Amino acid sequence: MKIRNDVIKVYKDVHIWVGILSGLMLFIAFYAGAITMFEKPLERWATPPSSLAAPPPLAGAEVLLQAVLAEHPQAAKNYLIVVEPTVDAPARVIWREPGKSRRQFTEFGASFADDGSLQVEQLRKAPVAQLVDTLHQLVGLPFPDALARPIMGAVALLYAVALVSGLIIFLPTLAKDLLAMRIGHNIKRLWMDVHNALGVVSLPFHVVMALTCVVFAFHDEFYDVQGAVVYEQGVPWQRETPPGPPTPDARPLPAVELLRLAHVQQPGFEVFNFSFKQAGGQLEASITGLDTRYGTRARTYASTHLNPYTGEIDPHDLPGQMEPWDAAVNTFFMLHFGSFGGNPVRWLYLLLGLAGALLFYTGNLLWIESRRRKQRADGVPEQTRSARVLGSLTVGVSLGCVVGISATLAATKWLPQRVDNLAAWHEGIYYAVFVAAVAWAFVRGAPRAAVELLRLAALATLLIPLSSLAGVWGIGGAWHHPGMGFIVDLTALAAVPVFLAIAAYTRRRMCAGHTDSVWAQPASSQPLPPSGRGPASACQE
Amino acid sequence: MTSPRHRLDSADWFGKTAAGLVLGFSLALAVSGLCAWLTPGGIAGGNGKIQFVMWLIAPLWAGVLCFVFLFRDSRRAWCWLAVANLLAFGLLAGVRGLLG
Repeated sequence: MKIRNDVIKVYKDVHIWVGILSGLMLFIAFYAGAITMFEKPLERWATPPSSLAAPPPLAGAEVLLQAVLAEHPQAAKNYLIVVEPTVDAPARVIWREPGKSRRQFTEFGASFADDGSLQVEQLRKAPVAQLVDTLHQLVGLPFPDALARPIMGAVALLYAVALVSGLIIFLPTLAKDLLAMRIGHNIKRLWMDVHNALGVVSLPFHVVMALTCVVFAFHDEFYDVQGAVVYEQGVPWQRETPPGPPTPDARPLPAVELLRLAHVQQPGFEVFNFSFKQAGGQLEASITGLDTRYGTRARTYASTHLNPYTGEIDPHDLPGQMEPWDAAVNTFFMLHFGSFGGNPVRWLYLLLGLAGALLFYTGNLLWIESRRRKQRADGVPEQTRSARVLGSLTVGVSLGCVVGISATLAATKWLPQRVDNLAAWHEGIYYAVFVAAVAWAFVRGAPRAAVELLRLAALATLLIPLSSLAGVWGIGGAWHHPGMGFIVDLTALAAVPVFLAIAAYTRRRMCAGHTDSVWAQPASSQPLPPSGRGPASACQE
Repeated sequence: MTSPRHRLDSADWFGKTAAGLVLGFSLALAVSGLCAWLTPGGIAGGNGKIQFVMWLIAPLWAGVLCFVFLFRDSRRAWCWLAVANLLAFGLLAGVRGLLG
């Protein structure tokens, strides 16, 4: 395809600038987002075992509920009956009490002890998976949501522009260069090929992410202006009135019966729980679960109203049974969350997310390579300060995020025995490691810091399965749940040799690659190499 | 016709970006409004449609922002986008008058 040279030139400038501005924040968003694909399994892996007795059968849920309401009448406002208790929802009856802000609440679970007395426990759902998710949502910024979210939205807009500008630049040579990998002496060419292949092949994925993120950042503002400009009197939300009891003295159905009726009405819908709200003497209920045949806008479940007196499910909020407009919106969410097609798609999204992180990383590498001062006859030139700074920043931020996440995950199984405010500790560990890594990258210079931080990433990641191993042996308050949780450990274990391999590659380039590069051993500690490639102190280990 | 073709450059990036951000957003808003009124279901199309119409702003806004750099300079960007805005908001007002 032919595009005028001056247009290409302008979009090259645009691409370079939006890339530099947003690349590192996008790296964090994508790396953390890739991990967030398995937020639920991670949360289960990270949640300490409950001290409650084994839950009574579902048929006994109402007896347990009455016992709870007798002692904790406030539970009536918002409670769940869990169909299949799991590590993160370990009780048959769970209730929620409002916390500091609207979306915060404290969860309590209940069971019967062996002697028949009521047992109550504040649930200890691990906050670490939520931390990784928050890093993902707020592109790694340690600011309050109100500040970080608009910045994320701006980054999403930059990202959209980066995609289009990148595509425009690449279009003229697309047919020739796509999937070409010119592996050889010209490192810039190689990184360019990698960057282009990643960008073009995963372009639809990236377009989805950029546009959905603009909405996730600004939906409240969008609704506000549309309420003022488009609609007659504000946004005309339709409020659904929950169905009341069919007769004044009707009684809510027991959970077992609700479950049976749910299976009859919605075969294929696996029910996780029923939730209830007592309001004005009337019970409102909803049903939460998943039909893996359909994608869903909530990342791991679908939820809809249920008439607790008749068991009738209102299907219009369920994926696959929505009205066309709702179905379209459901699709936008689903495409962002990868919440369709079950675990294979989740693994695919994880790979796409990591590929995205690599796209932004290679973008920064290309910026540095483009500004390389080449070796001339009179010696090795000093590299530009901007290239060195961006080199350090790229290494420090990217690897700081990687090491920080691994470190805070590795601490998961040791913290609950020792500290109270888990969420603050996890956040503290992440940001302490992150800031230290960035500082280290500036102190040591990009090449040495890259090698060292990659080895540190390998070590921190190795500590994750080791903490589970400690749990198997019951050391130091760590735990290990039976079931599929070991996949978290296996994944971490598999990442260890990858980090080590990249470290080895980086070290090779530092020691044996071009000396006229920010990736070479810093000149100050280096005897002038006879051949332009040479040994140096840090390379002789 | 014989004048040498204008060569695009990046000098005016700030003005163009600002035009894309400001007038691109208002244009997206007006076009989303037209879709709200004119597509099946009309303005009272229900909660799903309300959300869909809100979502429309993102691709429209980002689309303008992506291609605003094709304008020769920032004055042209502001002027053309202002014209597009006038048209879109004029249409929206007309449609609201007719159907509202």
